[in-house]
Amino acid sequence: MASGGGHWIQLQRLRPAFADCDLTFVSVYGDYADDVKGHRFYVVSDITRVSLLNIVILIPQLIGILLRERPAVVITTGSMPGLVCIALAKTLFGIKTIWIDSIANCERMSSSGQQARRFADQWLTQWPDLAGGPGGPEYWGAVL
Amino acid sequence: MIFVTIGSLFPFDRMVQLADELAPSMPDETWFAQIGDGKYQPVNIPFARMLPRPEFVNKIDEASVIVAHAGMGSVITAMEKGKPIVLLPRVLEWGEHTTDHQMATARWLADRPGIFVCMDSADFAGTIAAARASGSNGETMQRTAPEPFIARIRDFIGSV
Repeated sequence: MASGGGHWIQLQRLRPAFADCDLTFVSVYGDYADDVKGHRFYVVSDITRVSLLNIVILIPQLIGILLRERPAVVITTGSMPGLVCIALAKTLFGIKTIWIDSIANCERMSSSGQQARRFADQWLTQWPDLAGGPGGPEYWGAVL
Repeated sequence: MIFVTIGSLFPFDRMVQLADELAPSMPDETWFAQIGDGKYQPVNIPFARMLPRPEFVNKIDEASVIVAHAGMGSVITAMEKGKPIVLLPRVLEWGEHTTDHQMATARWLADRPGIFVCMDSADFAGTIAAARASGSNGETMQRTAPEPFIARIRDFIGSV
């Protein structure tokens, strides 16, 4: 699951990690279906700091998808819709979750990324300098 | 062709206007701009609000230079296609984004080949000229993340 632009493109760069999996993709723009032909794909409402109200649409959409797909793992490269997705997956369904903070956040984790800590089984930054410390995020690598 | 794109989310009128005002001084160049929900409508260059993805990809393929905000979608797309890209970071203070992270992104990327960072609107024309002069280095970046990162994610998924 990833929202638009760089979040989606970073998720695409991780595709070989899911090569053997039964995959479902979720994003916020319908034409991204072209990037994931042959896989199930859902479009959900986008939310940002300036369009938070859409969360009342997003939450039922995501619950519906999680109920239907029953994933073993939810992996997201952000942003806020991805945070909501792993929060629901973890708290309602006990699904394993991975948060990968965008590589754009090179000085500090994104605000969604900071909140993702509570809902992520693996809580990752793409910057080694931001990793570690007590309760800090882990660094496994970067998409570039 | 120079392809100007504001990315996928917020409008970026400052960049669109800079490109529109620069275009008449470069009569041998063609332009196209994706302007999103911006209020500023270019008068000197053709534009679309939001191109469907296949058309967006075509514009990237046609372009000799890409002009964009300092967003990772634009940056990665340009690197994967081996196209020079001019980056104008969005400034929080001017309402161009919800945080100032694009300034940090631009500083981090500034030394990479094929990336031309413009921290100040006044340097826009010069940065475009440098990107045009560089041409494509023809080196396209692999379309997947480095294998060690992929392997760790694959191992975690496999362990669930």
